Amino acid sequence: MLDAFLAGAHQVFAFDTLIYMLIGSVAGIVAAAIPGFTVTMAIILTLPLTFAMDPLQGVSVMLSVYVGGYTGGLISAALLGIPGTPSSVATTFDAFPMARGGEPGRALSLGVWASFFGTVISTVILIVAAPPLALIAVKLGPWEYFSLIVFALTVVASLVGNSLMRGLIAGVIGLGLATIGPDPMMGRPRLTFESDILMPGLPFLVVLIGIFAISQLMSEVEDQGEKSGQALIPDSIDFKTWAVMREVLMHPVNLVRSSLIGVVIGALPGAGGSIANLLAYDQAKRSSKTPEKFGKGIADGVVASEAGNSATAGGGLIPMIALGIPGSAVDAILMAALMVHGVSVGPRLIMDHPDLAYGMFVAMVVSSLMMLVVCVLSMRLFLRVTDIPKQFIVPTVMICCVIGAFALNNRVSDLYLLGAIGLIGYGLKSLDYPLAPLVLGVILGPIAETNLRRALMSDGDWTVFFTRPISAVLLVAALLSVIFSVRSILKMRQKNRPATDEQDGD
Amino acid sequence: MTSRPEETATPGAFASGVSRARNEFARLISYLVFGLGSVYLSWRAGQLPSSRWEPLGAGSFPKLVFAVLAILCLMAAVRAVIDIRKIGKLDGLGSALCRWIKIRRISFAIFGLLAVYLGALPYAGFSLATFVFLLIAQLLIADISKKTVIQSVIAALIFSVGLNMLFAGVFNVFLPRGVLFAG
Repeated sequence: MLDAFLAGAHQVFAFDTLIYMLIGSVAGIVAAAIPGFTVTMAIILTLPLTFAMDPLQGVSVMLSVYVGGYTGGLISAALLGIPGTPSSVATTFDAFPMARGGEPGRALSLGVWASFFGTVISTVILIVAAPPLALIAVKLGPWEYFSLIVFALTVVASLVGNSLMRGLIAGVIGLGLATIGPDPMMGRPRLTFESDILMPGLPFLVVLIGIFAISQLMSEVEDQGEKSGQALIPDSIDFKTWAVMREVLMHPVNLVRSSLIGVVIGALPGAGGSIANLLAYDQAKRSSKTPEKFGKGIADGVVASEAGNSATAGGGLIPMIALGIPGSAVDAILMAALMVHGVSVGPRLIMDHPDLAYGMFVAMVVSSLMMLVVCVLSMRLFLRVTDIPKQFIVPTVMICCVIGAFALNNRVSDLYLLGAIGLIGYGLKSLDYPLAPLVLGVILGPIAETNLRRALMSDGDWTVFFTRPISAVLLVAALLSVIFSVRSILKMRQKNRPATDEQDGD
Repeated sequence: MTSRPEETATPGAFASGVSRARNEFARLISYLVFGLGSVYLSWRAGQLPSSRWEPLGAGSFPKLVFAVLAILCLMAAVRAVIDIRKIGKLDGLGSALCRWIKIRRISFAIFGLLAVYLGALPYAGFSLATFVFLLIAQLLIADISKKTVIQSVIAALIFSVGLNMLFAGVFNVFLPRGVLFAG
């Protein structure tokens, strides 16, 4: 273990890797500071740049974008009242009033330190939890794996979006899309309609870019008839960096609790930073002696929301490294990046490529340190990013998406798929379908099919899925997640019946 | 036709009900499209030959997945019909659709431009096609003025020719040169 750890650290601490990570950290912060530009999109755009790198170097750069991105969302949340990313919605509740109240520097510094400590705490838990979980996971058979994927998809469908039914439909559409092309065991072409474009199947990354990035960019230029938030960037900002660090550390319970919430939420498939951000804030408010001060610029609100969303970074890596199940869309891209480099992600990752797994842990810590240094030294510069007009961002990012889709296989036909999938993604988004279950369906589809077929090859009896204890527990958990989701939606419907328009989950 | 802020914010239960009914109607159409599509794909998957070596052939999993999708869509569609009947205020669909399209006119224009760009890319090459795409897209989003035209031309040049050089020189990713510039 120590050898692997040192080997991983050696690769991460290589000069060129550190330089790339620094650039990644800056890029993540800048990208997420732009309202409407999500962390997922930033990672997608980074991906083609890592093709020429070693696997660990590429993943380290993407992790630095990831960690930087979770912090960058804070800038527009605090100064403009617009969450830079969906994972910084709750940050606006207190950081924006604090900034408006004449303390923009304190609001930003609180967020940066909380993000740093949140990431570090989540990385420590990742290092402790992932290896033993992987040791258990290698003992799982195809029955358990198939049930685990069913569980993951139902959890995603019930946690993301406004409707369980649409979440399930999106997840199953993803599974369906994954069946197009050669079948994963025998290579027989399926549902290709003799089309050369569909013959190799739908490349996962093209689906991901189309569904998330193109649809988001198209939404960005909709005419909402509303002006963007009022700029609030005063000429002089006092960041009070070290005083604020002490202030954050003076609230250890809130910091640790919010980070733990972030880790747990991050480890749940599909439940990413946006949920952790809100949940950590909610818990901080409930536990506070002065809940009435929340929403008016209290430090605890900023610390809870930022520690919560940043801690999902480490939490999301736990199921990815230990089980091969991505915890979020961003983890799915990281997983895909490793697959592009020929690394098989699953419970054997720690055993077959320990230097890579432990290198990722080291990269997480280095990324959080870099984010901290970059933010402390140059936050003032990043504030100007929020002024860049949409006319430059949207078309340019679209071009970067096109390059990313093309660079994967150097196939022009992938670009046509990108356009078609982008339009479908935009349609689904407009109809309020959650997109995360769809993407996870696409990546988990071949794994689910392979395990289902393997399970039935060794024993053709379907009841084995219910008689093997772990498999049965996972299937029951999947059923319970649906039942609880339906129950909570029905409760919410009764509560908000006259006013509700969106909460029409079924 | 999901609820827009201006729709949800409309005071009064009537407006909210109408808006909700329209949203449900739009989703109902999507359930029907996905449902019928999945029935067809499930049937197509069932046509695939079974395997001699395993109980499940290549077609079984897609058949199962699309069958589940069809059932989910049916359930969602029934629910949507019940909701629409309960609300009972499904009027003004035509005008709502026009408004929906109007709100998204730039999005659709940008997408149309992207489609043309992707089609032209193999022929015109990355630099030329991207320059034209960026220039038109930027001017579509921004108001046209002397300042925005100059800014757009500069940005288009940087992100077309510049990106091409960056990817070819630094990352060894060679973007399409185009039939016009090949040889």
